[in-house]
Amino acid sequence: MNLSQQIVNGLVLGSGYACIALGWTILLGVARLVNFAHGQLYMLSAFVTWYAMTRAGAPYWAAIVIAIVVLSLLGALMQLAMTRLVIEQNLTSLMIVTLGLGYVIQGGGALIFGGNPQTLSSVLARTKVDAGALWFTWQDVLVLAMTFVLYAAVWLFVNRTRFGSVIRAVAEDPRLAQLFGINAKLVYLGVFVFECAAVALAAALVAPRAPILTSMGFNEVIMTFVVVVLGGIGSIGGALLAGLGLGMFIAFFGAFVAPAYTTAAAFGMLLLLLVVRPVGLATK
Amino acid sequence: MTAALACSHLTVSYDGNVALNGVSLSVGSGQMIGLVGANGAGKSTLVNAVAGWSRGRPAVSGSVTLDGADISALAAHARAQHGLLLVPEGKNIFAELTVDENLGLVRAPRDVAGRHVFSIADVFNLFPRLTERRTYKGGSLSGGERQMLAVGRALLAAPRVLILDEPSAGLAPRLILDLLERIRSLVDRGLPVLLVEQNVKAALKVVDHLYLLERGRIIAGGPTTVMKSDARIVEAYLGTLAVDRA
Repeated sequence: MNLSQQIVNGLVLGSGYACIALGWTILLGVARLVNFAHGQLYMLSAFVTWYAMTRAGAPYWAAIVIAIVVLSLLGALMQLAMTRLVIEQNLTSLMIVTLGLGYVIQGGGALIFGGNPQTLSSVLARTKVDAGALWFTWQDVLVLAMTFVLYAAVWLFVNRTRFGSVIRAVAEDPRLAQLFGINAKLVYLGVFVFECAAVALAAALVAPRAPILTSMGFNEVIMTFVVVVLGGIGSIGGALLAGLGLGMFIAFFGAFVAPAYTTAAAFGMLLLLLVVRPVGLATK
Repeated sequence: MTAALACSHLTVSYDGNVALNGVSLSVGSGQMIGLVGANGAGKSTLVNAVAGWSRGRPAVSGSVTLDGADISALAAHARAQHGLLLVPEGKNIFAELTVDENLGLVRAPRDVAGRHVFSIADVFNLFPRLTERRTYKGGSLSGGERQMLAVGRALLAAPRVLILDEPSAGLAPRLILDLLERIRSLVDRGLPVLLVEQNVKAALKVVDHLYLLERGRIIAGGPTTVMKSDARIVEAYLGTLAVDRA
């Protein structure tokens, strides 16, 4: 058992969790909306990328763009269908509606792409980095770097630009924002499309690590939920920290205790943390 | 001359209960109009309906014109963009945004024809207190500072007409007249203002024209000089003032 390899594994896993959680963090934290179809959107993105590459012959980078466009359009449709619930901040109904949409996407995905595991192959995922005893791929490096770049970019956008202020204003009080001349519906649409585009990018980056299945969405939504709640709902820095922390925890738990119980252990950690520190990791 | 703002036969109901019943009024250019009445008379309902805005789900009928153009079909954010600026009662700024961020939300229109344009410097001149609070979050401001910020952001949007719903709520008595007089100075420069005010005494000192609203209807209205001695105003709202004067 190699300690530094577990740290590498933790970073690899954790940056993946954080990368996938980015869209939901913005959605939940900044616009105070929920989307329990997040994991199924991740699955769909991975399959759209896979389909574009294997069936349409697109190169990896083009396939990422295609996945982002497809998911953005789907996101816009979902948001338009849910506009009234969103403006009324009816979170309970939104939770149930998105959960239902998730199952529709999962069923639709299985019909279109079949039930067999597929491999989303990226050139980088096949190239191992030779660093002595440590084992990781260039894809892992790409995910880690992109995660930090994306989080930094989103943090700057939300906190340092006028559009960021507009989004935070709509999150705090959508009705009041209207009196400031802000079209709240349009802002919600933009944030939801961003959530879907972000999950598409994350899927195209992270999914090449393991075989993809149309049934994998639920596990992703669960892990994303842990990251977002751990991070302190809505905190961008908190979600990054929580993602990396969760990855580290799962790497070490899997290596030293039992890989079969990592999901349960992650929830155990979440419960414990919420008892000790109900606001999450963020120091707000 | 067309009124800067006019509404006619405005009727509002909540779940079938009529809160405002066929109200018509107008605000001329360079005029400050006061709207007074007891709690629940429908003052906020009226100005919210004019702005096409509500925190509830009202059913609204009647028409609203702004500088002669019918804006009845426009959503609240579009009416604000067209220069009808409402500063609502109660929560009217963003608590989690700083003063600068609150002001930065507003984008002045490209076409300023017919608009009363105020720069950020004008706002800070009018409310010097805000200058010291620029990096503070809205939630940490005092009641008076919040009102200044709320009015300031409305001015930055280059209003055609400004509607203020109880800007004096929660303010210390000496601050109320101070705020109203600053707003009066804007009116004297041409900005039409519709003011909803609980403090009738203070309102009478600054407005040109006063409407009295009761149970969803305008029951009296006229120039301030006339309304000052209107029996209904004196009895219900002025009491001691009238005695003092006598």
